[in-house]
Amino acid sequence: MKQKLLLCFFLLSALLGTAYGQEKTIRGKVTDQSDGSAIAGVSILVPNTSIGTQTDAEGNYTLQVPANANAITLRFIGYISQTINISSGNIFNVALAADASQLSEVVVTGYGTQRREEVTGSIASVNGEAISKLPVQSFESTLGGRMSGVQITVPNGVLNAPPVFRIRGTNSISLSSYPLVVVDGVPTFTDRVGSGSAPTNPLASINPSDIESIDVAKDAAATAIYGSRAANGVVFVTTKKGAAGATKINYDGWVGITSAYGIPEMLNAQQYIDFKTLGVQNNPNADIQYIQTNDANGNPIDTKWSDVVYRTGLSHNHNINVSGGNEKTKYYFSTGYTDQEGIIKKNDFKRLNGLFNVNSKIKDYLTVGGKLAYSNEKNLAAGSSGSLEGEAFATAGLGRLAVILPPIISPYNNDGSYNINGSAIGSADNIIGIGNLSYYNPQAMLDLNRSNTENNHVQGNAFIQIDPWEWLSLKSTYGIDYLFLENDSFSSPVTGGGYSSGGSATGSYDKRKVWVFTNTAQFRKTFGKHNVSALIGQEQQRTTRKSFGITRQTLSDDAFDQLQAGWVTNNASNMNIGENYLLSYFGNVNYNYAEKYFATANIRRDEYSGLGEKKGTFWGASLGWEIAEEDFWAESSIGDVVSSLRLRGSYGKVGNVGGVSDYTAYSTYNSGLYGGSATLYYDEVGNTALRWETSSKTDVGINFGLFNDRITAQLAYYNNDINNLILRVPQAPSTGLPSNPQQNVGTMYNRGLEAAFNFQAVNTEKFQWTSSINFTYNKNEVTSLAPGLDAIQTETSLETVNQTMPGYSLGYLWVIPTAGVDPETGKRIFLDSQGTKVYYQYYAADGQYNYSTTPDGTTQYINPVTGGSAISASSDAVMYANSIPKYYGGWSNSFRFGNFDMNILLTYQLGYSVYYGTNAGLHDQRWWNTSVDVLTDGWFNPGDQNKIYAKPVYSDNVSNGSAMPLDINVFKGDFLKLKNLTLGYSFPPKLLQKMDLSNLRLYVSGQNLAILTGYPGPDPEVSSNGGNNTGQGVDRNTVVNGRTFTFGVNIGL
Amino acid sequence: MKKILKYTLIYSIISLSSISCNRDLLDPQPQTSVPDVGAFDTESRISSQLLSVYQGLKAGNFYGGRFVVYGDIRGENFLNQTSNLVTGSDVWALNPTNSATAVVGLWQYAYETINRANIFIAGMQEIGNNVVGPEVGNGYIAEAKLIRALSYFSLLQYYARPYADGNGNNPGLPLRLTPITGPGESDMARSSVAEVYAQILTDLNDAENGLALTNGSEYNNTTRAHRNTAIALKTRVYLTMQDYPNVITEANKIVSSDAPFTAPTGVTHALQPDIATVFTNYTTTESIFSMPMTSTSGDYPGTQNGLAYYWTPGSSSGGVGNGEYALNPNGIIANSNWKSSDARRAFVMTNANGSNWLMKFKAPSPYTDYVPVIRYAEVLLNLAEAKVRSTNQVDPQAVALLNAVHNRSDKSTTYTTANFASASQLIDAIMLERNIEFLGEGLRNNDLVRLLETIPAKGTVPAKSADQNGYIWPISANELSLNNLMTDN
Repeated sequence: MKQKLLLCFFLLSALLGTAYGQEKTIRGKVTDQSDGSAIAGVSILVPNTSIGTQTDAEGNYTLQVPANANAITLRFIGYISQTINISSGNIFNVALAADASQLSEVVVTGYGTQRREEVTGSIASVNGEAISKLPVQSFESTLGGRMSGVQITVPNGVLNAPPVFRIRGTNSISLSSYPLVVVDGVPTFTDRVGSGSAPTNPLASINPSDIESIDVAKDAAATAIYGSRAANGVVFVTTKKGAAGATKINYDGWVGITSAYGIPEMLNAQQYIDFKTLGVQNNPNADIQYIQTNDANGNPIDTKWSDVVYRTGLSHNHNINVSGGNEKTKYYFSTGYTDQEGIIKKNDFKRLNGLFNVNSKIKDYLTVGGKLAYSNEKNLAAGSSGSLEGEAFATAGLGRLAVILPPIISPYNNDGSYNINGSAIGSADNIIGIGNLSYYNPQAMLDLNRSNTENNHVQGNAFIQIDPWEWLSLKSTYGIDYLFLENDSFSSPVTGGGYSSGGSATGSYDKRKVWVFTNTAQFRKTFGKHNVSALIGQEQQRTTRKSFGITRQTLSDDAFDQLQAGWVTNNASNMNIGENYLLSYFGNVNYNYAEKYFATANIRRDEYSGLGEKKGTFWGASLGWEIAEEDFWAESSIGDVVSSLRLRGSYGKVGNVGGVSDYTAYSTYNSGLYGGSATLYYDEVGNTALRWETSSKTDVGINFGLFNDRITAQLAYYNNDINNLILRVPQAPSTGLPSNPQQNVGTMYNRGLEAAFNFQAVNTEKFQWTSSINFTYNKNEVTSLAPGLDAIQTETSLETVNQTMPGYSLGYLWVIPTAGVDPETGKRIFLDSQGTKVYYQYYAADGQYNYSTTPDGTTQYINPVTGGSAISASSDAVMYANSIPKYYGGWSNSFRFGNFDMNILLTYQLGYSVYYGTNAGLHDQRWWNTSVDVLTDGWFNPGDQNKIYAKPVYSDNVSNGSAMPLDINVFKGDFLKLKNLTLGYSFPPKLLQKMDLSNLRLYVSGQNLAILTGYPGPDPEVSSNGGNNTGQGVDRNTVVNGRTFTFGVNIGL
Repeated sequence: MKKILKYTLIYSIISLSSISCNRDLLDPQPQTSVPDVGAFDTESRISSQLLSVYQGLKAGNFYGGRFVVYGDIRGENFLNQTSNLVTGSDVWALNPTNSATAVVGLWQYAYETINRANIFIAGMQEIGNNVVGPEVGNGYIAEAKLIRALSYFSLLQYYARPYADGNGNNPGLPLRLTPITGPGESDMARSSVAEVYAQILTDLNDAENGLALTNGSEYNNTTRAHRNTAIALKTRVYLTMQDYPNVITEANKIVSSDAPFTAPTGVTHALQPDIATVFTNYTTTESIFSMPMTSTSGDYPGTQNGLAYYWTPGSSSGGVGNGEYALNPNGIIANSNWKSSDARRAFVMTNANGSNWLMKFKAPSPYTDYVPVIRYAEVLLNLAEAKVRSTNQVDPQAVALLNAVHNRSDKSTTYTTANFASASQLIDAIMLERNIEFLGEGLRNNDLVRLLETIPAKGTVPAKSADQNGYIWPISANELSLNNLMTDN
């Protein structure tokens, strides 16, 4: 070591000596463009020389440069490199922009990292800085628009609902399409867990401000090391670690307000009475009266139900982290608290979390370390939002109640009691002729009920690494991921869902534990210009789950509201037990010649306990050619413009097993009851030959940089053929089979194009502007299902509007075509399967028919195929529009002007349609309230041309789409959203010194600020069926989304 | 020293990783279910399996509720209140489609029960009889055969033309008699109605031979099949086939020749003095076969299946249910021969607003009333009807049987042969008696359809004659799309 130091000293002196007299000294400070914090360890180099230095812990540097040097280049991992002109002046303060794009220097791959230049697979990366201060619950909901090939759809405005997360399309039908998420080397839980009405996303346990980077592996070469779990892509989350240097303490905090946007405007009380009475007059069978009465204060009742359900939520968030270390030991500790209020009353998210990691190089060949993360989250709600999968038609659904309840009734009676009628809201004296409105009083439910989930999540790992020689690293890591979920729900006996049973409460406890034991050996060696690295490894992963619970009914005392109180009926609930085990061997080889020619190969053999055929081998390989490194290129004139150019390609086969249950091979008998005695019945049809879904991925791409990489681009084409899709193949019901057997049968593909461009548009001392834009085109098509399975229909609760069929993309919208409203009669005109116009009237007078081929209703319609006399989905619906966006992406811009910084993120999704099912309810002619657009778009008088909604006839639930899905409620979903805008100010160093701070930044930020779309509903970025593979593009009674403004501060000591 | 430490560490890591993997974990055994290979291994598994065949029959979609509901709402005595397709408004309107909840659901649940019986019968013959011994085993098989027969019989009543239409020459059902435990057996053509009836009778005859005379307790005599259960069901089957001599033959085995009528062998079936008892004490000797319920989850009819959920109004209106179907003011309750002093009138509750509700079943949610499958009163009336129809005379025993049922509830009336001028008058009285006695117990549809009678109009629903579309149900859409040999009605 001493020798090396001496050598350096001599070299430096020699350089200094030769250059003495022709030099100048430059200095300055390097800061983070987004928050103004100092960056230590930034490399500063004079191009084409070996002259350089690094910034110190305060971000300052001093460098002597030759007088003729006119530029320096600044490089730091995770930031966009900058070259600045130094021809005049001596002080150059530089703000580096975080590299939100794909150019960070090091990327995380399975079981290791690689330099960006060496990667020939398709990996996109986001710096943690870009997402750390956004007012969200889980990090992945912020990834939309930031990377090509990554599609995020936030399904609704309910807190902590997992987003729809797809990498390069939807890659399964019945299994999970959620990517594998690996946090610091340990795969974690994803998608919705917990059974309460407040959804629980286990990824919300990771505090976004603890994330250092997110790397998304997309193609076979990048994912194959995860073998049987790689088909949906792999997301690597790396949490922050300490760095050598003085102890750093940072505080981040923000407060924010969230309010709902896009709530449909409904008729007020007078409009309601006028319009609904018209409907009653048009239906001689109806004996209904709508009556205006006064409230307790003597004012006419005019309830805006959305005000009962929605609120402006107040949120605040605090994080403190401490990090530091020396050459040997580095540590990072953070703790955070967030308390967020959603736009629905009583929907809250609270998280308290801590993260500690340390690693220590005990000997020059021995390193040990570990991490422990703990998070406690409370997901709170009063009851169903009606927005999670399977809830769309819930009579308790708050999103629905906010619009359909009539304005002429009030949540309260005039004596202050709840306006209720048994389980339902009361019609009081305001609606005469309807016995029971059947929908619940949302005020009472919000006040009396709860449905909460508390999650305690522990993630940790410990490792030991031995480097016996410089070319070999042996590493053993043991990691755990424990999830402890507790659900607590209560339904009051006063009204609503608990009414008929005299109150009910459910409590359950769900314990899910994973341990992972990984052992790897990593070789790295350079022979001349041949660079070789290789990895072999073995891994075991075991998951166990146990859950139990109780559902209790009929309270012993009406004042009680706890599960532990006295109850009459007690039943077990949420009984689950499961275990699975994955045993794997894997390896890879990376080779490059002179960083010009690249080749990689990955292989993994997995054995998985849940399958019938347990063993599978998966692999991926890639090639790359850095053309710009070739002499002929570098020497040609084009080389001056095109500074880097790489061709790459990969192919491989990976698998999907996410969501396969634990004992699929077994045909099993289950227990039941017959009059209190135990029974045992054939319950599940097993398949001893069940194996992985396989995904054959091809990826070809070109990356290039122009003008010294001031403009960079990545272009890719991919094709993913999915075979052996696991489907439950239906058998004739007369076989009496208790379940449809799972078989590896279907096929489909996703193929598409990706492009990402980064521009350092302006890069002066005072003003910098960087811009990244990305674009993805994805085509999904199902090519075959199974014999006897022509189509898969996916229900949205009670309604079926998605149908998956060979030749179409997944979950195609399947609706009945219409031909407008007849101008003379106001009747809805349906088109049957033959294209015949069928006129519909809800009320048919004597001698007339509901469905008629003539406008006057006198000629009965007979379906030529089925002989039926009505239009129905099964005979007349058509494959109408695709529900999966064909194009999506984003455009982000970072500006810095002096001490001010600004970030703008726009996201878009194009080329898809959304079934706005809520709109059918908003024009239903029962007593439900109606959207105000009916006053302009509804038919009222003969001769009304081009009206959208049929003549109002009381009780008509057919003409406008409530009874069966119609094309009039399908709309283009294309949108461009101003997802995020942040404006910040960093205090200048002089002021900071006075305050004894290393950094202080204030900012304001807004989310979901504006949306450009033709979609008439609240937001086309929506999903009533959550992440359901075959149920996308449905907006049925879903809670609207929220717009959030935050004010925040970052302080560094 | 340093090297030793280094190599020791390397060695430990390698050895730890190679010994720690546990291949046993790759083959986990289910902890809460029984793999098929062991399903007949023990006596208790076998007896539990047998009860699961009963459990299949008891499903809320089958005899636990909906099958019975459909039987009544197809007839004229109820009016639909909620227009809810999920609770059978289309069944009530006699126009359900192939994909209707009722049409698809009943078909599926009945065949699941049949397959459970088939799996059980085959498993007993193969393994089980060796475990429990042939005597017990054959008794078990007899019970399973009875349930299989009852399931086929039940399906025939909705999905096939009545036997009377062409003596059973119309398409019946796919007749599945072997166990199906895996895919690939979807295709099977329909046997004729007559062939299915022949199988039902074969099974019931086998059951009669194999079943115990009694099951030892009142509870088991009501909820498990015994010899008289098979005989009683045969009277219903033969009556439906209009094979009156055989009704008489069978009924005579369990009906004494003179009043008070009781079963001379096996369980001593008899009418209870007060009909109300039958719906409060579920295990009297009148209840030949009933579906037991408890309030434990999975042991009651389930959501929107319970009889009381359908027949009674909400609690604010004095009921325990959801008021799905009120009594038709122009239906049987309008019949003046059903006297107001008749004890069975006490089952009819009239609300302040004039609506009428059947309160025969009134256990609140989760609706734990036992559901009657067959009562002794039916056997008596089956015999009475067969006697009259086969002799075409005012048969004295028939009158006595009718009187036994009627007089129990209407003490003011005692029928004698003098009350009936002709056989047809007596038939009318017996049919009226059935309509009153079994209101809400699911027999109405069968009593109309087996005789090819027109289903009377009710509310907004027109009458439906035997030759009209809708007289029987269409075939389940799922069956039609997955069974290539299946044909629709």
